[in-house]
Amino acid sequence: MEAALAANSITVKRSGQTVLNDVSFQVAAGDVYALLGGNGAGKSTTLLTFLGFLSPDTGTVEVLGDDVGANLKDVRLKIAYLPEAATLYPHLNAYENISYFLSLAKATADQGAIDAALDRVSLKEGARSNRLDTYSKGMRQKVAIALALLRDAPVLLLDEPTSGLDPVAIDEFNALVRSLAEEKRTVLMVTHDVYGACQIADRIGLLKDGELVGAFDRPQSGQIDTEQVHAAFAGRSGS
Amino acid sequence: MTTILAIATEEWRLWLRSRVAILALLIVSTIIAATSLLNAQRMAEERDQRMHQQTVTEQTFLEQPDRHPHRMVHYGHYVFRTPPPLSLVDPGVDFVTGQSIFLEGHRQNTPMFADVRASANLGSFQLISPAFVYQVLVPLLLIALGHSVFVRERESRTLAPLLAQGVSGSSLYSGKFLALATLAFTLLLPLLILAVITTFMGEQCVLVASLTLVYAAYLLVWCALIALTSAISPSRGLALGVLVFIWLMWALILPRLAVASAGATVSVPGKLETDFQMYADIRALGDGHNASDPAFARLRANLLAQYDADTVDDLPVNFRGVVAQTSEAELTTLMNEYADRRMHAEQSQSLHIDRFGWLSPAIAISTGSRHLAGTDLANHHRFLREAEEVRFDFVQGLNQSHVEVLSYADDINRNQSAEASQRARISAENWEVLNLFEFAPDPSAERASRSAGSLAQLGLWLVMLLAVGKLASARIRP
Repeated sequence: MEAALAANSITVKRSGQTVLNDVSFQVAAGDVYALLGGNGAGKSTTLLTFLGFLSPDTGTVEVLGDDVGANLKDVRLKIAYLPEAATLYPHLNAYENISYFLSLAKATADQGAIDAALDRVSLKEGARSNRLDTYSKGMRQKVAIALALLRDAPVLLLDEPTSGLDPVAIDEFNALVRSLAEEKRTVLMVTHDVYGACQIADRIGLLKDGELVGAFDRPQSGQIDTEQVHAAFAGRSGS
Repeated sequence: MTTILAIATEEWRLWLRSRVAILALLIVSTIIAATSLLNAQRMAEERDQRMHQQTVTEQTFLEQPDRHPHRMVHYGHYVFRTPPPLSLVDPGVDFVTGQSIFLEGHRQNTPMFADVRASANLGSFQLISPAFVYQVLVPLLLIALGHSVFVRERESRTLAPLLAQGVSGSSLYSGKFLALATLAFTLLLPLLILAVITTFMGEQCVLVASLTLVYAAYLLVWCALIALTSAISPSRGLALGVLVFIWLMWALILPRLAVASAGATVSVPGKLETDFQMYADIRALGDGHNASDPAFARLRANLLAQYDADTVDDLPVNFRGVVAQTSEAELTTLMNEYADRRMHAEQSQSLHIDRFGWLSPAIAISTGSRHLAGTDLANHHRFLREAEEVRFDFVQGLNQSHVEVLSYADDINRNQSAEASQRARISAENWEVLNLFEFAPDPSAERASRSAGSLAQLGLWLVMLLAVGKLASARIRP
């Protein structure tokens, strides 16, 4: 299967420091790939490189076969990005936020389509016309996910998507990500939530100090073994 | 383009929801309305007053009874400069120059200020004109509203999602600039209304349009600068600090530096110093009241030779009148030389200050605005020259009557008795030497061409800032 996302030996330096060192991995189309690592491991840097916000000093990144550096504008239209803090405009309500960001991406959605997306992320109907500055973090996250759904982008990049969510919201989110994968959308998420990643990812990559120290596939039988992940972080090799 | 429009519209939605734009518009409208009303009141009062006084002084002059012609030379006459309609927007140098001159023989008097009552009525708003509001206060308001226009996205971390939608940094800059530009145009509405009102007062549409255009260009320069600074600043505080510093430099410090530099580069002697020198030169020309002054010996000899006469008593013309006429012509030439030198120096200083428009758009707009409003130094100098022409013509007209109508014998014996004094008077019909004075502002083409330099300066600033803004924003990263 052709890789939807590919990092080919990328090295990224920021302020003279090597943040990513010769990192290579691929995400197959329709897979959920979780990049795990502690603070400062280089997870968000990897996402920013796929978004073209950072250029690798060496190596290349590709999205659906397009080199990010060479076709940045096209690449961004294929990506829906969910930042860590689900930053949207606090003075707008859910509909206005979604409509505005969709218009920037040259996509459109009528009220019915927006409601359907908000239904899918389980955002209460009564809250949708309220300004986002009255929302909890989880509610804002849902609006951001609905936006990503409506973008109808084949690739989703999620930055710490469950950070700060309550357990129920995390479960709802995990179920949603799996359903996206079933729709053949490719998901690359970075997280430090080992258990969540093991539940939903098809493959997990382990980043440590800017280096990919291990990668695991989901076994045919079910979830990835968290013990295996812990062992890899402790210094033993992964497969 | 739709992306840029969407970004600008979103910015407006934020301003409207936070009511800052409405508040800003209210502030500007209130200040403009207050200053305009007070300026209009001042103008109307001064216009009526000057037109009335012009008529009264002309009438009073013409109604003077039979007199000795030289008494009429010293009786004098006033001329008034009626402000052009656009001085409602920009009073320009009118704030610091006089608008009426007392014309009399042998002197070029300094213009005087308008009636004190007219100024006192304006209270503290007297010095705040709509031009000042747009040149100094509106940019500050734009800074207050717009400094966060771009950096807010970075601080609230919405920049990454925005760029991730496929929006380029330069589109984002253009959208933010467009939002600020439309805000500036909205704030320009009170000025536009005021400018349109001046067309009903007789101002030409082309000048009104040009004035609005230069103010629009000026505010666009600020918008481009604000958007650029906001785009490249890491925080709102820094953006605000940098913009306020530039505002201080452009609007307050550089104009004063320009004046100081002009004073240091082009020296203009003080009035006292010049007057001392000029009166010394005038004394060397002789006293026109004294026909026996040795300075007029050659004139006497030439006249006697011309008319083949032995004494001045035998001349067919009044020798005292000829002396007065000749003396007036000579000292006027001398006074005009001094006046031309002073005006040339002042104009050079003004041009020197104008060049600072390449460093400060606030100086460029101030200069362009005055040129277009017809309240610049050149206009004031023309008033002085035209007033001087009136003065010279009426004084020499009276001197001509002195030469031709009054006999030399009656003239030199005028103090002998009451009858002699009566004989030394000439008919009041001779006072019809007064040319009616009506000062008109410079033609629109001339005013527009004088403002072209300022418009070029503002245009260059705008193009430069927009180009830098586009280049810098293209490299924007979250």
